[in-house]
Amino acid sequence: MKENYLAKWLNNELSEAELAAFKETAEYATYKKIVDASARIEGPAYDSAKAYKNLQARLAAKQTETPGKGKVINMKPVRKLMKIAAAIVLLIAVSFWFANSQDETVSTLYAESTTHTLPDASEIILNAGSEISYSKKKWNKERVVSLEGEAFFKVAKGEKFSVDTDLGEVWVLGTQFNVEQRGDYFEVSCYEGLVRVIFDGVEKELPAGSSFLAINGKIIPVEGPVTDGPSWLNQESSFKSIPLKYVLEEFERQFNIDVETRDVDLNQLFTGTFSNTNKELALQSISSPSRLTYDLDGENVIFYAEETP
Amino acid sequence: MNIENHDNVCKEEVFSFLFNAHSKAIFRSIFYKYGNEEKAYDVVQEAFVKLWEHCAKVTPGKAKSYVYTIANNNYLNVLKAEKVRLKYNNSGLENDRTQESPEYLMEEKEFQQKLDNALNSLPENQRQTFLMNRVEGKKYAEIADLEGVSVKAIEKRMHLALKTLRETIDGI
Repeated sequence: MKENYLAKWLNNELSEAELAAFKETAEYATYKKIVDASARIEGPAYDSAKAYKNLQARLAAKQTETPGKGKVINMKPVRKLMKIAAAIVLLIAVSFWFANSQDETVSTLYAESTTHTLPDASEIILNAGSEISYSKKKWNKERVVSLEGEAFFKVAKGEKFSVDTDLGEVWVLGTQFNVEQRGDYFEVSCYEGLVRVIFDGVEKELPAGSSFLAINGKIIPVEGPVTDGPSWLNQESSFKSIPLKYVLEEFERQFNIDVETRDVDLNQLFTGTFSNTNKELALQSISSPSRLTYDLDGENVIFYAEETP
Repeated sequence: MNIENHDNVCKEEVFSFLFNAHSKAIFRSIFYKYGNEEKAYDVVQEAFVKLWEHCAKVTPGKAKSYVYTIANNNYLNVLKAEKVRLKYNNSGLENDRTQESPEYLMEEKEFQQKLDNALNSLPENQRQTFLMNRVEGKKYAEIADLEGVSVKAIEKRMHLALKTLRETIDGI
């Protein structure tokens, strides 16, 4: 017989002679029975559509698990946590970006002073009732600080550093200086290095130990500071031939108090120093050289000319 | 649809077409080989999950043998072969041949039992080949393709299967 003749027989590949010979064998009857009986075998039920739905459910379930890992761990609670974490990260990122893109602003209230360090380690000490702002983002490109009020600068060495005020601009190269601009009052004092003041289109260079003062648009020649820094850094306010008006305003800022005056000449010049911490002492320091009297009533103080009854 | 135009099986229509075309044959093939219907169903489902996960790496033409190989391997790795519990459609015997004597029907039942036992004692590959051909009507070439062997090897399996069945049943 041919090789694998049983397989050939099932596949109807035997020749008539071969088939006839096969049928003659003793085993043929059983082979025939096996084939007949196996024809009645039914495969297990299988519904492709249903199985496909099952598969889709499996795939959907798989998506909420980590793929690839042998162990099946329900990641749902973790995913929820991850979502919250992602939201927080996004919020922080957005606010960080927002804060970064916004100008950095530091301000002091009355009776308050603060020290602020700039990105290049330059230091700004703000006197009472002042505000500075600058762009943190652009700081590396241009060191520009906008100032309203009064501040003392210790500038780190580097490129041009400038202070913008409503009245004038101050340029520096690694130095310590004080800038005060309040209303129509503009004063710059240089304690170290070199400062260039641009006021009313005019540039003026201030070496260490000199000051620039302009009141009401008029440049007033002043002597330079003799100290290492402005007096307010030592909790004092010093004035040299400054109209009383600005002295009283400074007093208001240092003690967060309302000042009223009766028959007082606010243009008289004041030279002297008052304490920024002791109110009674400061009042005396201002009133006696100016020949004034005062009434202190909590948050209000009224100055009178001494002649007034 | 002409699924051979696709490079992979990541399109759902390609994937579902392949599933409908092949999942039944693969399922039954696995079942005939290893005997447990439930587990066979499960490994085939998992194998299709794998196919979906690696859809980009498999062409439509390779998908069937890919799924079959994975299902087969998974079954081998995880599960032990069990007895094949086959069902017989005996309605033909009982209804159409009412003239047959109860003795004849009894004999038929007995023979089915013997065939079942004989099938269970067959080597896995022979049982699978035999049932795929006899029950599913798959050609030798198709079975050879699925198993990844030559047609001649399938013929050999078929020949040996029938020979062994006959010898078991006749009690040699």
